[in-house]
Amino acid sequence: MTDRWKGPLERLDKVRWIIPRTYKKGMNTEGIIFAAEDMIEAVLSDQAPEQVANVACMPGIVGRSMAMPDIHWGYGFPIGGVAAFGMDEGVVSPGGVGFDINCGVCLLRTELTAEDVTPRIKELVTALYRDVPSGLGSEGKQVFSLRQLKDVLRGGARSIVKRGFGWNEDTTFLEEGGAMEGANPDEVSEKALKRGMEQIGTLGSGNHFLEVEVVDEIFRSDIARCFGLFKGQVVVMIHTGSRGFGHQVCTDSLRFMQSAMKKYGIHVPDRQLACAPLFSSEGKTYLAAMACAANFAWANRQFITHHVRESFEKIFGSSAERLGMHVLYDVAHNIAKIERHEVGGEERDVCVHRKGATRAFAAGDPVLPEAYRAVGQPVLIPGDMGTGSYILVGTQQAMKETFGSTCHGAGRILSRSQADKRSRGRDIEAELLAKGIMVMAKSRSTLREEVTEAYKSVKAVVETVEQSGISLRVASTRPLGVVKG
Amino acid sequence: MKRFEILDHTADIGIVAWGRSLLELFVNAAEGMFSLITDAKEPREGFQTEIEVEGEDRVELLVNWLNELLYIFETEEVLLTEIQVKRIGPVSMKGRVSGGTFDRSRIELKREIKACTYYQAAVEELGPSLWRAQVYFDL
Repeated sequence: MTDRWKGPLERLDKVRWIIPRTYKKGMNTEGIIFAAEDMIEAVLSDQAPEQVANVACMPGIVGRSMAMPDIHWGYGFPIGGVAAFGMDEGVVSPGGVGFDINCGVCLLRTELTAEDVTPRIKELVTALYRDVPSGLGSEGKQVFSLRQLKDVLRGGARSIVKRGFGWNEDTTFLEEGGAMEGANPDEVSEKALKRGMEQIGTLGSGNHFLEVEVVDEIFRSDIARCFGLFKGQVVVMIHTGSRGFGHQVCTDSLRFMQSAMKKYGIHVPDRQLACAPLFSSEGKTYLAAMACAANFAWANRQFITHHVRESFEKIFGSSAERLGMHVLYDVAHNIAKIERHEVGGEERDVCVHRKGATRAFAAGDPVLPEAYRAVGQPVLIPGDMGTGSYILVGTQQAMKETFGSTCHGAGRILSRSQADKRSRGRDIEAELLAKGIMVMAKSRSTLREEVTEAYKSVKAVVETVEQSGISLRVASTRPLGVVKG
Repeated sequence: MKRFEILDHTADIGIVAWGRSLLELFVNAAEGMFSLITDAKEPREGFQTEIEVEGEDRVELLVNWLNELLYIFETEEVLLTEIQVKRIGPVSMKGRVSGGTFDRSRIELKREIKACTYYQAAVEELGPSLWRAQVYFDL
């Protein structure tokens, strides 16, 4: 395993740990890690804190370099990293978003209960496995022409709904309305387009999944009611991103960012943090291409939403409308966005990078759908395969402290080879079935790499964000069925 | 000489590769990368292409070379069973790969590699006829 991090960490309170600015030459601000005491050992066990310090060295960073409790070692930014940059003096970094641009989570509600679904879970998971293309290099059910793809890159989920794969209300409940502004397909390479044409409506592989879950605990009943959640209710979680299209956009951008660094005389401790000033042509080109990839991801999840509704219709012999399959919300957890935040007593625009972190806006924010504006933004936190997920709500504390951001998931603690060793000879499918979870996966090695022990407890992660006040628990779910790539 | 070795990483995975020359190093790094995707080794036919990659230094050339190979693997849907590097200059390189299509129902792909990153990426000449490279991949 890798080296333990040996830098200084000062405890601010029960869940806040500071990496002082004096730790490393070049740090423009301090780092902060949100973690409970019993998590800190795992945080220090690899080089993730060094990555928090590295991000603090980037030009024009505003506020602290932050890491959420699901922090783990990434490349460039840590996973769980949040950093904002000033529009005039700051930068945008493709490595601060990652290769899977707008990897995110969509949650669908139903009016069904566990009693309705459990007896038919095998049929349902089989139908979902068949209807939603998954696995490495999986291809969508519909191949898009170049013109149609460009339309998707501009219009995101909206363009998919227009084609009849969704309901008009759906996009109201997606972050950015499912279509980020500023997307310009002319800034995207032919390679990215080629990778994207066949992959809309595919789940992919790795930690991506499609999960049928049941709400098993309600923490705040008034907010749960507002989100349309009740105990015993079946919901569906879709976790995927922009597939090969986004990977290629990031790869292409990192190339021209390497030259931009020289051009603008920028020095960062890690080449993966390559960046360009927000005002520069390189910075603008990246943001325009990134928005295309973000829209690709929203289109992708929208297409999958459509397939999921069809599978439910087949199995339960009723229309998706009658089954109440509304989109609860959809969040992006790998993205850079220009947002208005209060910094040092004044409102200003900043470019917030969320790398494995979720937007968590508080009640009253005008960008939230009207239905949720009185309570705050739903925040969707997928757990690892087999332990269930959480629905949180954004808070004023997040607006004040983290540019309206919170955690995104459980966070890995075991490397792939450690997970492989621990799971060797085990039948993960059978183990999950014994716990009442029906799993279908394209790859057995993925199942073993994604085994529960490989992840931090998502429960501990959300308890920590609640303790810090940057979001609050609304409900938790447990899985009934999982489709993996 | 060991051609490559897996590097542990909490969320992702890396490789170290060695070679007696820079050309051999780039071939071994590529084979190390594909070993993470599949164990299938038998030769295949039907696909071949020349690859030209540019980069401002050796690290950039290596990262771009590996990303180019991932792109071919994903878009052409071929397993590359023969990888050659013809020339590596200061800012460009040339390679040639061949392979063929495969039956997904018979060959298990172990994992998806999203891309080769620049994180702690290195290409070093350790001594006479000994080169070492290191890269991490995003999974």
